[in-house]
Amino acid sequence: MLSSAQTPRLLRSPTTTTTTLKCFHSSPIPTSASTPPPPSQILTTRKSLLSRQTSAVDLAKSFLHRLRRHEPQLSSFLHVSPDETVLKQAEELDNKIKNNEEVGPLAGVLVGVKDNICTYDMPSTAGSRLLENYRPPFDATVVRKLRERGAIVVGKTNLDEFGMGSTTEGSAYQEGHRGAQLQLFLLDNAWWHWEVILVEVSGNRASFCGVVGLKPTYGRVSRYGLVAYASSLDVIGCFGSSVADAGILLHTVSGHDKFDATSSKREVPNYASQFVPIDYLESKPLKGLRVGVIRETFEDGVDSEVISTVRDAVSHLEELGCTVSEVSLPSYSLGLPAYYILASSESSSNLSRYDGVRYGNQVFGDELNSLYGDSRAQGFGSEVKMRILMGTYALSAGYYDAYYKRAQQVRTIIRNSFKDALDKNDILISPAAPSVAYKIGEKKNDPLAMYAGDIMTVNVNLAGLPALVLPCGFVEGGSAGLPVGFQMIGAAFDEEKLLKIGHIFEQTLQGYSFVPPLVADEWTC
Amino acid sequence: MGSRAALLLRATPPLFSFRKSAYPKALVQNKRFYTVKSSLDPPDVARLAETARISLTPQQVEEFGPKIRQVVDWFGQLQAVDLQSIEPALRADTEGDNLRNDVPEIFDNRDAIIAAVPTYEDSYIKVPKVLNKE
Repeated sequence: MLSSAQTPRLLRSPTTTTTTLKCFHSSPIPTSASTPPPPSQILTTRKSLLSRQTSAVDLAKSFLHRLRRHEPQLSSFLHVSPDETVLKQAEELDNKIKNNEEVGPLAGVLVGVKDNICTYDMPSTAGSRLLENYRPPFDATVVRKLRERGAIVVGKTNLDEFGMGSTTEGSAYQEGHRGAQLQLFLLDNAWWHWEVILVEVSGNRASFCGVVGLKPTYGRVSRYGLVAYASSLDVIGCFGSSVADAGILLHTVSGHDKFDATSSKREVPNYASQFVPIDYLESKPLKGLRVGVIRETFEDGVDSEVISTVRDAVSHLEELGCTVSEVSLPSYSLGLPAYYILASSESSSNLSRYDGVRYGNQVFGDELNSLYGDSRAQGFGSEVKMRILMGTYALSAGYYDAYYKRAQQVRTIIRNSFKDALDKNDILISPAAPSVAYKIGEKKNDPLAMYAGDIMTVNVNLAGLPALVLPCGFVEGGSAGLPVGFQMIGAAFDEEKLLKIGHIFEQTLQGYSFVPPLVADEWTC
Repeated sequence: MGSRAALLLRATPPLFSFRKSAYPKALVQNKRFYTVKSSLDPPDVARLAETARISLTPQQVEEFGPKIRQVVDWFGQLQAVDLQSIEPALRADTEGDNLRNDVPEIFDNRDAIIAAVPTYEDSYIKVPKVLNKE
């Protein structure tokens, strides 16, 4: 069905893309005499609103217009707020500005929230039929914080059911067009002030879509209001069109939350202040920084084009002054089975609350067990059912030691090996995914093949470390080339360093912002 | 299954053992897809479905069986690794519990909670009778 829709659009080569992008960024915002701000859609929005150059209502209107035009092809949203609701919030903001009242740092920023994060005024389905039309009675902490600082939540984005998968093919509702390839591009759209908060339990999505993805340390961001998948692994992160935007978003949502006992009490540094403007950089701005390239992530099984593109990124870091060395994490390949044991086991427990009794779609039966069995059978998709069954098996009496406990021991080993590597290096580098985005249906019938795609990120999640994914190039494929991303891994709670390095990398590397065909075609500049 | 995926799924061979702070220097690359036949009973999908309270049709049991077995066999490679004296890690962090005070608070949106209940009657959440298992 979808293959006919994948007609190749007239594509722009990366170089043309750069030119057009630069053109856009130099849209007429009055330049101040002081330090220029980093490229950030959030800051640009704020500036144009406060200087009365544009209004929140105008921004919202143009965004909604584009959204409605592209959404039928992209299927990236499960729910979009009615126009009136969005425009009303925009109008309130405009009134505040008119009256010279304080507005938050995210004023006017339009945000999409992944549908496994609770929003009290919109359905939150976690991509599952079981929670069809479920309206949570509260906002997740991250949503509350975004709203308190002026952001407008426009809608809920698609995901694989309960977060199990990498392409949204596992969504009970719709497949994002071109699978992960364009799934979140629109949301993370630089050109239309669009940031996304989403869960990065295992994140290769940023890489597939050519955007910046930031997954913080486990415990940095509250999980209250996140539909739990695997409690020891779930982390809420953010996408942005630039590193600065990701940093600003992270700053907004980080911090201790009394409703999440695993959230850290550590102080939140000002992530938004890490960004040195490019003109102020010395010639080797990253001098002295030790970068460790993880050997195991460049070996067999990874696309050769991905390897060479990421190696180019590493060379770029060297040009910026980094000292690059190779690092080996010997336990690396055990991370994938360990991760999936832990994830299946924990999800089998977390998903036991969906019994059809207190919320969600219910299939009434003549006795209680049928109510449970049938509600769950009809509400859950196959992938979810399988993972629950695998988890149930791994946790069964007598099997716990063989699977779950061993997986936890492997987690200790991996955590320690990362710690050793990060004692000797400031950051570690790997590709963000072993390949570029899959075609729809490519991985559907082979669970292990799908799991294999997570190899770059599962170890990071097991260790609970922060990671920043940046686009660094293109390879052939699709109609406009497919983006490749690389991943920078930092020590626990060291997001500042990642952001600082990522920003410098991004600013000094031209020509690698991914412009998906749908946008490129209608670009006028 | 794609050979590339197979390469990614290979595990370290059994001769590889871990001790707390020592890693062997040379890592032999085993390029073939590697699983360990578990010494435990294979998954009984029908029984697991009953435990997990998911009604599966016999057809689904047939369909899921091989896939689950395949993944569980793949899990089995962890059994081949020597993990003696390694502490299991509950989570990644070491901060310990940041529990809030054990003080009850009234939730301010109880109506929305009640509104979400599928079968609600007169302040009761209604469910069918519980049958005793034979």
